[in-house]
Amino acid sequence: MTAAAATTGASTPHSDGDRLLDVRNMQTRFHVMDGVVPAVDGVSFTLDRGRTLGIVGESGSGKSVTALTIMRLLDIPPAEIGAGSEAWFDGRDLLALSESEMRKVRGKDIAMIFQEPLTSLNPVFTVGAQIAEQVQTHLHVRAREAWSRVVEMLRLVGIPSPERRAKQYPHELSGGMRQRVMIAMALSCEPKLLIADEPTTALDVTVQAQILELLKTIQQRTGSALIMITHDLGVIAETVDDVIVMYAGQVVEQGSVADVLLEPRMPYTMGLIESIPTVEKRGGRLSAISGVVPSPFHLPPACRFEPRCPYAWDTCRDRMPDLSVTRDAERHARCHLHVAGAASRLEAAVSQHRQNMRVGRQLTDSV
Amino acid sequence: MMKFVTRRVLQAIPVLLGVTVVVYAILLAAPGGPEAKFAQNPRITQAQKDSFRKAWGLDQPIPIQYGRWMGILNPSGEGLGVLIGPAGLPNFLPTPLSGATNGVLHGDFGYSIDSGEPVSNRIIRAALPTFILAGTALVLWIVVAIVLGVYAAIHRYSLFDQGATVFAYVGYAMPTFWLGIMLIFAFSGPGLNILPAGGMTETRISPPFGSPEYWVYFGSNTPQALGDIAKHLVLPVITLVVVNIAGDSRFVRASMLESLGQDYVRTARAKGLPARTVNFKHALRNALLPVVTNIGLEIPFLFTGAIVTETIFSWPGIGKLTIDATRDFDYPILMGVLLVTSVMVVLANLLADILYGVIDPRIKY
Repeated sequence: MTAAAATTGASTPHSDGDRLLDVRNMQTRFHVMDGVVPAVDGVSFTLDRGRTLGIVGESGSGKSVTALTIMRLLDIPPAEIGAGSEAWFDGRDLLALSESEMRKVRGKDIAMIFQEPLTSLNPVFTVGAQIAEQVQTHLHVRAREAWSRVVEMLRLVGIPSPERRAKQYPHELSGGMRQRVMIAMALSCEPKLLIADEPTTALDVTVQAQILELLKTIQQRTGSALIMITHDLGVIAETVDDVIVMYAGQVVEQGSVADVLLEPRMPYTMGLIESIPTVEKRGGRLSAISGVVPSPFHLPPACRFEPRCPYAWDTCRDRMPDLSVTRDAERHARCHLHVAGAASRLEAAVSQHRQNMRVGRQLTDSV
Repeated sequence: MMKFVTRRVLQAIPVLLGVTVVVYAILLAAPGGPEAKFAQNPRITQAQKDSFRKAWGLDQPIPIQYGRWMGILNPSGEGLGVLIGPAGLPNFLPTPLSGATNGVLHGDFGYSIDSGEPVSNRIIRAALPTFILAGTALVLWIVVAIVLGVYAAIHRYSLFDQGATVFAYVGYAMPTFWLGIMLIFAFSGPGLNILPAGGMTETRISPPFGSPEYWVYFGSNTPQALGDIAKHLVLPVITLVVVNIAGDSRFVRASMLESLGQDYVRTARAKGLPARTVNFKHALRNALLPVVTNIGLEIPFLFTGAIVTETIFSWPGIGKLTIDATRDFDYPILMGVLLVTSVMVVLANLLADILYGVIDPRIKY
């Protein structure tokens, strides 16, 4: 279970001075009526300053819980963070900070954008007041200065007539406008790290593109690092440098976005990419990964993807694979295909994936 | 906003007219009738009963009786003349125009059979004591219920929360009449004899509450008079607040819990705000929206008071007036109280709606 601890996946050759976030062997469990849910099970990854990281996975794969654990926003209990979990941010382990120290990090050094902007904004306060509150808490400025900061931020995220909009309530704004407000709020104290948890899922497709574009330009302008959590591989392709793929609470593959999307090395990732509907595949059946996500109470004893994996063999049922370096350097995959002696199986899987993808070229264009 | 209020007030008129019919019908359907008070008295002759019926119009057809109670018809008129008031104008017009009295539309709600006074006088006299008792209780229970409910929600499943839950169940299940009697038993009789068992003032020291002599006494001995009332308030207020704190604190707790589970509370925490700000600004403000509406709907209580509690503690308020009127078959009083109560309920609903629009920016009228 703790096998992943051995590999702190460094996907970029930066020095330690550039390192912003180093998550090591993070374990988050939920104690619920029916037992214990290991929502995040030994997740490790790193993020350098100014870089963007995508976390992809299905619902329940643990991607949001990973972010909420870093932010320490989970209620404990029912949540429990396993001993040995570490989240080093700018030289400090977030998981070891006191609550009052952590409060100074939240909203100031790490800011978060949530999925549903309508419910994430308080309905009874104006959007300006909600941003100003954060500015005043962290930057210790007077109300007047905070307000001019609010207007400046709203202008930055492309809200027209920001002076007027700041005095409006969330229900008076459109969905895209609300998410811009959330982004303005998140960026108001110039965070070193921005975590966006499914920031476009609740929005119209056209608005989605605008919001992604906005996040990308602002991230480039402010130089903050970005963690983009999504189940949408298209979003990942457009916005991030590196990507980690999560399945059943574990990281199953990580690498640069081009590598992972174009040359996946783990059957789950392959299946995810193959199941994207494309214009070229129009008329045919949508492809899907067979089977269902395992229940967190009855996880497969060895490889968690094994029951759904088309390439599984005996070894996959015997023991859990490590998240190990693949033969292509800089890449990690949690799969027995990468151990010595499975070369021919890997070969077969890769060529099968290429064949499945031969009509779908759309991702190549967007990377 | 003004348009909304005007529309709602106009809508209330047919509702209240309907209420008068229903109130009248209910009391008509009840067995007895005003003359039932003579049923057990062998000394009353049939002739006396007949003259009583005639004097109170009980010999008239029911629509005529209803018309007289409403003040549409003039009891002293003959034939179609019943429609004309003493001043020669239609009887239903306000008193200054028609010269008519004795009816709902003329504001006196008719006359009490028991005392012969206008019903409105009796109600007004009883309203102040009820307002004092119910107002004290209402303010106290709302404050305590909010504090209790909010604290229990923030510390969900804590020992405090469990204790509040137990209190709520016990308090809600405890009958008022039993609690009242137990309190009297404990604090003003066999147990500790430290609080008065009933009444509103110490009658050995002061004139009866509400009489002109009382107000003279009140003027010259204000601190003592207030202290005296306060002492008499303790037990009935406790009796009233226990059950209501039990109910409302659950309501506040549920509302606060719902609010605490919302995404915007998570956002507030993600912004790095102190727990105090998250709980008492972001969560509480939203949690209080339904609570305020609920409080608005409890306002008629200030008038109706509590029949059982007032009776147990001989509190000279509306509740006691109602019980006394029931015992004495004083129908005009009963109908008056019921009708005024209905008006209060309608007004409270309107107030709650307006209040909701004021405190929730999403509601626009």
